[in-house]
Amino acid sequence: MNPSGASLRDKLVLYINGKRHEIAGDLAFAPVTDYLRYHLHLTGTKVVCAEGDCGACTLLIGRPEDQELSYQAVNGCIQYMYQLDGTHVVTLEGMTPAGSVNAVQEAMIACNGAQCGYCTPGIVMAMCGFFDTKPDTQPASPKDIQDTLTGNLCRCTGYEAILKAGTQVSLNAQPKLRELYPAASIIEDLEALKRQPACVQGSTQQVFLPTSLADAVRLKAAHPKAVIVSGGTDVHVVCNKRHTEPQTVISLANVAGLQGITIEDGFVSIGAKVSLAKLEQQLGDIFPEFTQMLERFGSPQIKHAGTLAGNIANGSPIGDSLPFLFVMDAEVEALGPAGTRLINFNSLYTGYRQLALAEDELIQRIRIPLPSPTESRKLYKISRRQHLDISTFTAALRVELDGPTIRWAKLAYGGVGPVVLRLPKTEAFLTGKPLTEALVKEAGQIAAAEISPISDVRGHRDYRLALAENILQKWYWELMDHTEGVLK
Amino acid sequence: MTTPGTTIGQNIPHDSAKGHVTGQSIYIDDMPIQRNELFVDFLGSPVAHGRIKAIDLEPARQIPGVVALFTAADLDGHNLFGPILQDEVLLVEDVAMFVGHPIVVIAAETRKALWQAKKAIKLEFEELPPILTIDEAIAQQQFIGAPRTLAQGNLEEGFAQADHILEGTFVNGGQEHFYLESQSALAYPDEHNTLTVHSSTQNPSEVQAVIAEVLGLSFNQVVVITKRMGGAFGGKECQATHPAVMASLVALKTKRPARICLTVDDDMCSTGKRHPFKNRYKVGFSKDGDITALDVQLFSNGGAANDLSTAVMGRAMCHAENAYFIPNIRITGTICRTNLPPNTAFRGFGGPQGMLNMENIMESIAAYLKQDAYDIRRRNLYGLTDRNITPYGQVLQNNTLHELFDTLVERADYKTRRAHIDAFNRQSKTHLKGIALTGMKFGISFNTKFLNQANALVHLYLDGTVQVSTGATEMGQGVNTKIQQLVADAFHLPPDRVRVMPTSTEKNNNTSATAASSSADLNGQAAVNACNTIRDRLIEFASRHFAHQHGEATGSPFHIVWDETGIYDSRHPDDRLSFQKLVSLAHLDRVNLGERGFYATPGLEFSWETGTGNPFLYFTMGCAVSEVLIDRFTGDMKVLRSDLLMDIGKPLNPGIDRGQIVGAFVQGMGWLTTEDLRYTHRGELLTHSPTTYKVPNIQDLPDIFNVDWIENHGNIVNIKGSKAVGEPPLMLAISVWAAAKHALTYVSNGEIPQLNAPASNEEILSRLMHYAHGEKSPWTALDRPEVTIVPPSTTTSGIKG
Repeated sequence: MNPSGASLRDKLVLYINGKRHEIAGDLAFAPVTDYLRYHLHLTGTKVVCAEGDCGACTLLIGRPEDQELSYQAVNGCIQYMYQLDGTHVVTLEGMTPAGSVNAVQEAMIACNGAQCGYCTPGIVMAMCGFFDTKPDTQPASPKDIQDTLTGNLCRCTGYEAILKAGTQVSLNAQPKLRELYPAASIIEDLEALKRQPACVQGSTQQVFLPTSLADAVRLKAAHPKAVIVSGGTDVHVVCNKRHTEPQTVISLANVAGLQGITIEDGFVSIGAKVSLAKLEQQLGDIFPEFTQMLERFGSPQIKHAGTLAGNIANGSPIGDSLPFLFVMDAEVEALGPAGTRLINFNSLYTGYRQLALAEDELIQRIRIPLPSPTESRKLYKISRRQHLDISTFTAALRVELDGPTIRWAKLAYGGVGPVVLRLPKTEAFLTGKPLTEALVKEAGQIAAAEISPISDVRGHRDYRLALAENILQKWYWELMDHTEGVLK
Repeated sequence: MTTPGTTIGQNIPHDSAKGHVTGQSIYIDDMPIQRNELFVDFLGSPVAHGRIKAIDLEPARQIPGVVALFTAADLDGHNLFGPILQDEVLLVEDVAMFVGHPIVVIAAETRKALWQAKKAIKLEFEELPPILTIDEAIAQQQFIGAPRTLAQGNLEEGFAQADHILEGTFVNGGQEHFYLESQSALAYPDEHNTLTVHSSTQNPSEVQAVIAEVLGLSFNQVVVITKRMGGAFGGKECQATHPAVMASLVALKTKRPARICLTVDDDMCSTGKRHPFKNRYKVGFSKDGDITALDVQLFSNGGAANDLSTAVMGRAMCHAENAYFIPNIRITGTICRTNLPPNTAFRGFGGPQGMLNMENIMESIAAYLKQDAYDIRRRNLYGLTDRNITPYGQVLQNNTLHELFDTLVERADYKTRRAHIDAFNRQSKTHLKGIALTGMKFGISFNTKFLNQANALVHLYLDGTVQVSTGATEMGQGVNTKIQQLVADAFHLPPDRVRVMPTSTEKNNNTSATAASSSADLNGQAAVNACNTIRDRLIEFASRHFAHQHGEATGSPFHIVWDETGIYDSRHPDDRLSFQKLVSLAHLDRVNLGERGFYATPGLEFSWETGTGNPFLYFTMGCAVSEVLIDRFTGDMKVLRSDLLMDIGKPLNPGIDRGQIVGAFVQGMGWLTTEDLRYTHRGELLTHSPTTYKVPNIQDLPDIFNVDWIENHGNIVNIKGSKAVGEPPLMLAISVWAAAKHALTYVSNGEIPQLNAPASNEEILSRLMHYAHGEKSPWTALDRPEVTIVPPSTTTSGIKG
């Protein structure tokens, strides 16, 4: 089927280390790391976890943006070929001419940053990605390097040497990718391709690459079981681990639009393809607590690929963005054959990973009401490890105070049931009462009574109940001046 | 001080550093695919304990691309193996003993066919009740080997002298190695039923032996080569064997190259880990905190077969008193047989478990006496000249513990910071702090005497370059670089003239595992011994050469000078030979330019019959202070500061040794904080990938992190005065756990706080809730098993979300 009427392209086209590759057949459905390692014998890219959690497979993906290629570090193991149509993939082998080292590599050697070497390619690539987009030539701070490498596990070095290497990189000596790979001809080629819808057939799978959301909706209506892929950070983990092969995939790689973040009519409106990284960069002024949470949401590699829409569509009760969207009364704007409609988050989830979306509806954008300047919001994410870990428990607390009195309160917890839950009894209990330690202690008990968590790999039921109860006290003390017991 | 012209003691980069950072280093899965090569995998038992009633391979045989399926019936040798006791069944014959216990080896043309075959094979079991914990094993009397005891002094008298006696139990969890390169092997069939096997193993000789024994070959039919490992940490000491045998089985039977590379999930689910322990102790001490008697019963969860459990327990017992002299002591060690994958070597090898138990006792005594735990530890340290006999009778010599403690307590400003913590904890409504300074003394040498030997092969080539081969395997720790430095030093060459070769059983026979931190000690010395023999020959030749040149009747080796400028006769200093020239002239004179060196550690003797002897050549020591911050409402813990101080003798390569110290510390911190193995009640591991099993990441480093070592030139018994460094610093991380226990003393209502390891945020919060509200549920109960079992019917998959 060819919804737009234009002729259909039947191959993927991408560049790898400056060289053009056309991909047809089953290879289109493989993780890019398989193609690199087993077809091109570019084995510098390692695969360890195959789920985007260790960073050994880090690659830089260049996408056309403002007449340049904008490169970002991603986890190659969960980037499938059909997502990379129209991109330039740079691997470790493509970072330097054979036999030479760049400034990042030189610093890693000098500082003993590599021991067994298996995580090293990913670490070098993540750092190269950071330095490639660093706007100034100041040396990196330790925090820069920590934030760059949150998603790169190393089991040998204890990271100290890597951190030192990162802060010693001489930026003037580090070539930029735009110098290594002149972008103009690549962009010209790719931009033309990206305007042409594509459909690639494998022996048992097919992938559609529409160029507009309307086409995507039509395709979804024609293939109700099709899997929609944008960042792929959830769906490809399942493909890798369970060896599932979705028969039909609709890749949003070339869908135009959906990239913007706009503020209008009292709403922040976020396009479905906006990456979490972009959200983190741009939402800080309006929702600082949300961007702080995004810091711990995932690695740069995941945030470069993953989207807010994906986190919502995945529908996990421990999706880190969800409690915030619940208490904000945010809305999903869904697009279906009949047009768009808005669904409030508080009625979006009908069961464990079940959404009130029709099979032929896609998320077009997310609308978050602008907050009132006098309200207070706090988000909590409790996980076994502080950074880059899936939550055991999440909470969003949004209140407006009138002096010491709570005018209204909205609370949502995640990880305490099959879906994220609002806590109506606790909210009602808090409303209209002066905020005191005794009040939040009692409220905590009410909150714990409103939920029925399970025990699982991420924590015992009683742990979640204790967190549900305690988090209100933590919140209280964060609002109060610690020693004086008065509001800050 | 370094000698001019040598790199010994200097910070030269790892010999693979450039390959690593450019992605050119080759691991098993990176080796080019051979014509005709097969992919290999295995199907493991889905049940922890069960009798196989039926195996139906037929549906798998029908899958296109599946080439062969093998079961125990296809093995031509014996199916039992193990490094100490031959008690592990490679391929299940009758009863599966753990989840992941291999049953069917699969060979296929594609990975996809492998996955499909794994799903298609039909297994029927009669499920038997599994034993998962030490308590269950004790109740059912399921043990591996017999309990052993080390003792010194008179316990009864020691307890009689005590003012106070405490009794308790202590639990530590296991730890997954999480090497980044999973278990892998590539086997080539050669002619006449011989095999060349590339294996990611710490122990090529054992892989060779087991392949031969299981497949019915003689040892000389199998060559095992290890270029490098992408991490190992003990996990590839014994357990690299299984996949290597599987690939070899396929290669031998199909006459096609065969490669196996486990997924991280299959690897974690089916291989053993650091042993969890559950210990009992009774300690007597004076009102001032001098320990008069200690009775410790260590119990380890060994898993389904011995593997190295007996040796691990031996080391745990030899480190159960840690850095402290206890005049009257009894240590017993019992290994429990359970239906988990056989637990195995892991950096520290029982030492961490033994020491952690002791440091828990130290914190407990301090909490009971309401004294500073530092003072308790300091007064109980081994003496310099007396109070220096270990429970196994070895006299502790060159004891630097006092210097280490006294230096660090000052340098880290311990006392002031502890006072600040007292004040902080009184005031803060939201957080708690804790601090601890813990000691570490780690015996170097394999406890088993015969393993303390090594051989090395040194070849000089006519262009003046050198190849050296030893039994040491490179897993990132830098042993190759150290050997490169030692050999370069012996010949006064720059290190880049020396190439350390892949470890091969063809070059070095009957080698010991690269383990016990001692591979540089043993293999480095063997290599230097070989070099010295060649040097003597070359000096003799040079003396004849110069005599001939200068018309003298006989040469005088005594006058030969060899330094980085070349070789000359001191009586004719202007007539110099370069190394290359010397070597090529010597060759023309038919001088042997290759040598095999051998080294056996002298003076070792130890018997478990008597529990006495000198098992260790020397001790690596150290101490560390850590300070932690705990959220009272969530249990989240942050390490604010760690200061490490070690005695590592004269390091061969300070950069590499610093990397070992920091890496081991952070790995130990992971074991004691976020690395939390969880199982179902059926014995299935739930935390089988980094999504659910959380090793430290770069954000988990202490905010302030100081690492240093003292000057000690006195370790003359070891090569160039160096000390082993691979494992010991892992145990400095006990300071982090002890700091968390210290923090709990501020809220435990005067009780000695009980804190298991790992001190995860969940563990800490369960203790905070216990001391705030009492014991309300199994979650807040003080007595819990060493294996965390998620309650049934509510478990979810380890896959994300």
